[in-house]
Amino acid sequence: MRLPSTASPNPGAPDVDVAFVREALDQAGRNPEAVIPVLQAFQEHYGYLPVEALRLASEQSEIRPAAMTGVATFYDMFRHRPAGQHLIRVCRGTACHVTGADRVEEALRQHLGIPKDSDTDAAREFTIEGVACLGCCTLAPVVKIEDQTFGHAKPEKAGSVIREFRRNHHAADDPGRSTEELETAPAGAIEVHVGLGSCCMAKGSDRIYHALRESARRNGAHVNIKRVGCVGMCHQTPLVEVTGRAAGGRSAYYAGLTPATAPAVLDFHFRPAGLRQRLGGLLNRTLDALLVDAKEDPVRDCAIDLEAPAPRAFLGRQVHIATEHFGTLDPLGLDEYLAHDGFKALRRCLKELSPDAIINVIDQSGLRGRGGAGFPSGRKWRVVAQQAAETKYVICNGDEGDPGAFMDRMLLESFPYRIIEGMAIAAVAVGATEGVFYIRHEYPLAVKRVRTAIREMEQRGWLGEKLLGRDRPFRLRIMEGAGAFVCGEETALIASLEGQRGMPRLRPPFPAQSGFHDRPTLINNVETLAMVPWIVRHGAPAFARIGTAGSKGTKVFALAGAVRRGGLIEVPMGTTIREVVEEIGGGVAPGRQWKAVQIGGPSGGCVPASLADTPIDYDSLRDVGAIMGSGGLVVLDDQACMVDIARYFLRFTQDQSCGKCTFCRIGTKRLLDILDRLCAGKGRRQDLDELDHLSRQVIQGSLCGLGKTAPNPVLTTLRYYRDEYEAHIEGRCPARRCQALVDYKITSRCTGCTICAQRCPVDAIPMRPYARHEINLDLCTRCDTCRQVCPYDAVEVE
Amino acid sequence: MTPVSLTIDGRAVTVEPGQTLLAAARKLGIDVPTLCHHEKCTPSTSCLVCLVKVKTDNGSSRLVPSCATRAEPGMVIESEVADVFEARRTALELLFSDHVGDCLSPCHRICPLQLNIPRMLRQVDDGQFTEAVAHVRASVPLAGITGWLCSSPCEQGCRRGVQDSPAAIREVERFVAEHDSPWLPQVAPDSGKSVVVIGAGPTGLIAAHDLRLNGHRVTVMDRRDEPGGSLWTEVEAGHLPSGTLAAEIDRLRRLGVEFRMGTALGGEMSLGGLTSDHDAVLLALGENGKTQAKDLGLTLVPTGVKTDATTCLTNLARVFAAGSLVKSMRQVVRAMAEGRSAARAVNQFLAGQVVQRLPKLFSSIMGKVSPEEVGKFMVGPSPVARTVPAGGANTGFTPAEARGESSRCLHCDCRSEGHCALQRYAEIYHVDPNRFRGERRPFEQHLEHGDIIFEPGKCILCGICVQLAEQAREPLGLAFIGRGFDVKIGVPFSRKIDEGLQKVGRECVEACPTGALAFKEDYVRQMQGFSSEGRCGRGG
Repeated sequence: MRLPSTASPNPGAPDVDVAFVREALDQAGRNPEAVIPVLQAFQEHYGYLPVEALRLASEQSEIRPAAMTGVATFYDMFRHRPAGQHLIRVCRGTACHVTGADRVEEALRQHLGIPKDSDTDAAREFTIEGVACLGCCTLAPVVKIEDQTFGHAKPEKAGSVIREFRRNHHAADDPGRSTEELETAPAGAIEVHVGLGSCCMAKGSDRIYHALRESARRNGAHVNIKRVGCVGMCHQTPLVEVTGRAAGGRSAYYAGLTPATAPAVLDFHFRPAGLRQRLGGLLNRTLDALLVDAKEDPVRDCAIDLEAPAPRAFLGRQVHIATEHFGTLDPLGLDEYLAHDGFKALRRCLKELSPDAIINVIDQSGLRGRGGAGFPSGRKWRVVAQQAAETKYVICNGDEGDPGAFMDRMLLESFPYRIIEGMAIAAVAVGATEGVFYIRHEYPLAVKRVRTAIREMEQRGWLGEKLLGRDRPFRLRIMEGAGAFVCGEETALIASLEGQRGMPRLRPPFPAQSGFHDRPTLINNVETLAMVPWIVRHGAPAFARIGTAGSKGTKVFALAGAVRRGGLIEVPMGTTIREVVEEIGGGVAPGRQWKAVQIGGPSGGCVPASLADTPIDYDSLRDVGAIMGSGGLVVLDDQACMVDIARYFLRFTQDQSCGKCTFCRIGTKRLLDILDRLCAGKGRRQDLDELDHLSRQVIQGSLCGLGKTAPNPVLTTLRYYRDEYEAHIEGRCPARRCQALVDYKITSRCTGCTICAQRCPVDAIPMRPYARHEINLDLCTRCDTCRQVCPYDAVEVE
Repeated sequence: MTPVSLTIDGRAVTVEPGQTLLAAARKLGIDVPTLCHHEKCTPSTSCLVCLVKVKTDNGSSRLVPSCATRAEPGMVIESEVADVFEARRTALELLFSDHVGDCLSPCHRICPLQLNIPRMLRQVDDGQFTEAVAHVRASVPLAGITGWLCSSPCEQGCRRGVQDSPAAIREVERFVAEHDSPWLPQVAPDSGKSVVVIGAGPTGLIAAHDLRLNGHRVTVMDRRDEPGGSLWTEVEAGHLPSGTLAAEIDRLRRLGVEFRMGTALGGEMSLGGLTSDHDAVLLALGENGKTQAKDLGLTLVPTGVKTDATTCLTNLARVFAAGSLVKSMRQVVRAMAEGRSAARAVNQFLAGQVVQRLPKLFSSIMGKVSPEEVGKFMVGPSPVARTVPAGGANTGFTPAEARGESSRCLHCDCRSEGHCALQRYAEIYHVDPNRFRGERRPFEQHLEHGDIIFEPGKCILCGICVQLAEQAREPLGLAFIGRGFDVKIGVPFSRKIDEGLQKVGRECVEACPTGALAFKEDYVRQMQGFSSEGRCGRGG
């Protein structure tokens, strides 16, 4: 928690200039609702919130001092002390946690010399902070420095991550090299698709995109290097597809290309047009060959066959509704969207269907809210439609905060027009004229693409005072969240929109009756809205045919964790956990045991592998103690400690509790205290009873969904893994994860290669060439580096 | 608009539409606890101690905060049932687990006779010596004796000791005891019962005192010629002036306690005879009495005479025993405390009531404090070192010395003690303030400016003050700062509490359900018998 520091003047604090404060207010507004955008402007400008700026802004606006301070200290994105020059954000999402995010942070701190009680190094070059989830779970563990994302950031790579950041940072980015330009495809050109979602970009797909374009430009090939949305196969990212015509009828796919090797693929498929280009190409290839190991043949090495068993298993069970046309559409291509049945559903709603008829379609389709609770969407729409009010609102809830979930980010980044269409249909059905996208600020690309899409629509006169050219207004705007998981809760989201601290309130009244500005407000999750156009186009029965009796249609999941093929998948409801993990995900790594899946994030639970045949639908999951949740599905293997997992989620919810009601504010903290004691080997037998007892009280007594579901990870792990809890009381961590309960030891397999001694970040292993090494357990921080780097498996944990 | 009818705990009630379950329950006279509820404020639903159970149509039920849930026609509500009680208690226990402050000071809690020591010290500091006599003697009837002999466990708990040395509490007590005051406690009308107390030592004397105040005829018998029992050893050792002992005995005589000295048990003075002549017999024969006990027909256990821990009854009917006869007491004050609980047991027995031990005083317990935290306490108290009587140990404190020493008190007790809603409900709901172990936040109190003292550690974040300040359009007001477990109430832009509350300071203090906001002079008002009207009246 960051609180305004009362300590001596902040080092590196800039002067606050009145002119900028005024400018920020001019931009964001002076009414009480403008407080979050105003603070965001300050944060952007100063890197933190100087008290003086807040004071001035409150003097010059209608924002009261109490609101200014209250809001500024509520949301995660606001700092109250100046940060170093570069901000390092270590993702603490579930997938990152189980792959050792804490060790990565420790290693980065070690490398940069950031002391334990601080977040910034002495030279004020780097500030490190944890972030709830960056939503790149398949690249776990993930670190983001400024706008560069580093996936698979192992502790021993700390140094190289920083070096790479410095290198890229110094190679001052060409401002012209955006991936977000609006483009029209050259007529008749053959398409080469490059996935440009933010996780693909974290793996360098943007650089490949630019390299390919540059190469295409140079050799004059009649080819369209095209930005496409998420392909879903995150385990193969960055993925390049050379479409049919160039590849002899069947698309050719390449994974793992680099900016240096990518042009070779282009050269392979497209012969340069003229002699000059051909010679140029030859020269370039020769030069490239000097840079790239000659033995490498990217065309051969990186080609993947989607007809091979693995990709077939990954794609075979999937049904694409929310992700229709995945990996082929330009997210910003409005005409392309139109060419793929885009806005057909909305047009039908405007022309042929009455609002009541639209709601009937949604109702009969059986669609339930995809945000977590699974409330029947048609019923919600009808309640809003029935309210007599001049003004009504439709809000798209894109505050996807669950660690381990990135479905909504991907949908917003890949299909902005589809979500807009879904929202517009909802607006028509319930009689709303105002719409708001509430998107978390951690998703800058999603914000950017939705903003571009809205602007594009407005320019064509399809949004604003007219909707799709008809005499019916629908005004859309974006509100960027400021970092608070609880704002995913409807009433907290509304409080946040109204410029308040994101505190939930007691329901009823429900937002559908009295929400934003006390007006009837329909709040639907991104994925729910993404389903709507398909349902309207294909009819309710088509949707209802998919799925189970109580759960219709498909569900998008972010499949991550200890699974071989992670990614973004969309499967029919009723698919079993086993089918998802073993068939689609390919199971866990060889030699490991599949232990459980964590489903539903901090509100969900851990379903053990023994219940793998549980179908994924709302009711079956509830019966085993989990919930559908928003769609995070993290696979855990035998290296996961279930007490640690419970603690991880409790720490998250405890940290994200708004602090309003006693049961959540203090209750989750006390649950966490107990779990902390257990993981530290200081647990007592009666702690387990208190865990169970207090969990039930917190569920019963908490005011909103956050508190009411926060104990679920504790209760499910207690239910299925009580033996592990008992082992912790006896001082053992069976998964050897809890640092206080394990020791590292070097066995006789040690050859004295000294790698561990070189890599140990705390010098706990004296270097003894050719002799068996030893670990000084007093210095050892159990960072696991030695075990990971040992080529002889000579480091054991006991 | 038709009125809304519902049932709460099986009783029908009708309220106006829009009214809450809380209003409906209170209409029936059901005491639903509330902390964050305030008539002028919109419900903040934060404390959640007002939970009630709503039965739903499908036969299940859920808990809802009654302060913000509207009464609907036909609702079936349960309030006084076990699971609701348990949820409320848990909410209170959670609040206490994060409550940095003591209701009662450590010295007060430690004192076996439960003397409110900080209050005594404030009275002396203030020169209210006569009031101090009444207050001290009500808890410690033989204060003259303890003023000399008390082992003063209170001083071991005194937080001032962390700073330099503890307050000289016993010396101040002696000063109060020796203050010339005609004050005598009120004796209840004659109960028609008579009690014999055998043994005129510290246990017997205090028991005789307490029983006499309850209106019983009390006769103290002792084999010696002068009352005092084991206290004579102290007199002979020069630890207690014989004149002081005589003066204390004289006070008892003036209350109407009869002394029959030179009378030993045995022979014609048999226990059987005494029990037939009197309604109860209390044996306080002291350590030496153990040898005689078997002959008297009493059952012995290794520690002494066997008694029931609660009723103090021996194996003989209407014969009670206490003090060193039951279990050796080394400290005079503990022997007195035993005498006091025995007297209480006898009194309840005589009144035909079920005998119950005195419940432990409820208090939130902050525990050990660090030197930095004591520094926060040191803003008001006198910084001088512990006073040594100038005239030597035998003369005791002069009034000036007593006042000076009393001003060293840190006042660790809560200004809102006795009129705090949180404390009140803790007692009703049998709260264990230490159910949840966890790291404690540092103690904080802000008393640098103005009349208001703010202790964030006692704040339960009800938000009443925030709302009142907002309603009054305070220029700065108060804000929730931070999120989650770390939320605090504070003044925007790191300003002081009196800058935040320029208009509604008094109103906020009066509305505060705990001791987080208080007036500095609240201690003074407490001494003057400050009534809690308007402060905990909210509790119903």
